[in-house]
Amino acid sequence: MGMFDVLAISSSGLKAQRNRLEVIATNLANVHTTRTAEGGPYKKKEIVFASEDVSGEPFGSLLKKKTEGVRVEAIEESRKPFERVFDPGHPDADKEGYVTLPNVNVMEEMVDMISATRSYEANTNVISATKHMFMKALEILK
Amino acid sequence: MKIEGLATEHFIESIQKPRKADSSFVDVLKDSINKVSEIEKEADKEAEKLARMETQDIHSTMIAIEKADLTFQLMMQVRNKILSAYEEIMRMQV
Repeated sequence: MGMFDVLAISSSGLKAQRNRLEVIATNLANVHTTRTAEGGPYKKKEIVFASEDVSGEPFGSLLKKKTEGVRVEAIEESRKPFERVFDPGHPDADKEGYVTLPNVNVMEEMVDMISATRSYEANTNVISATKHMFMKALEILK
Repeated sequence: MKIEGLATEHFIESIQKPRKADSSFVDVLKDSINKVSEIEKEADKEAEKLARMETQDIHSTMIAIEKADLTFQLMMQVRNKILSAYEEIMRMQV
């Protein structure tokens, strides 16, 4: 239904931001993880978004529709270098007594979290605006 | 001001023309009411899914409910307008 396209787009935005918060939660939970399945410390995860046609029309993207929602393209590992801390007592310390900690910066994650929350809020505001416009249009009949 | 008479032949023609059976006003109304009830059922399903903790996104449930609410309001407005038109006709002097 054409008039609800905005809702579909905002819904995709909300979902994307929720997924982003999930990734941030993963990073924050693993801020001190030194052992992973593939060996070595935990690697910070980054979320990558891509625009996507969400109108539900078949071949909508081929019809050159200009309005697009968003989808999670990939969750990839950050290329940032690991942090090395001198802690000889740690079970995972190397010969020189250094422990390689994950490349997660708590401050950065907190800032990302605020950004995700605000983006989520922005999308809910779009939904409220859509609803408001719809109700205003209905008032024409009154 | 120039006053024109009613173009009677066109008027008669237009009321005598048989209406297409598949697009009568009743059908259109029925169709739109069906659509509204469909959207409402969808919202019901979403709410049930949320209650059973099967859904991942609360917002999709909220949007489904909002959609149902908006379409229902639209239907109510159309209904009110139709009823007021009917009442207007019933009030006509005969």
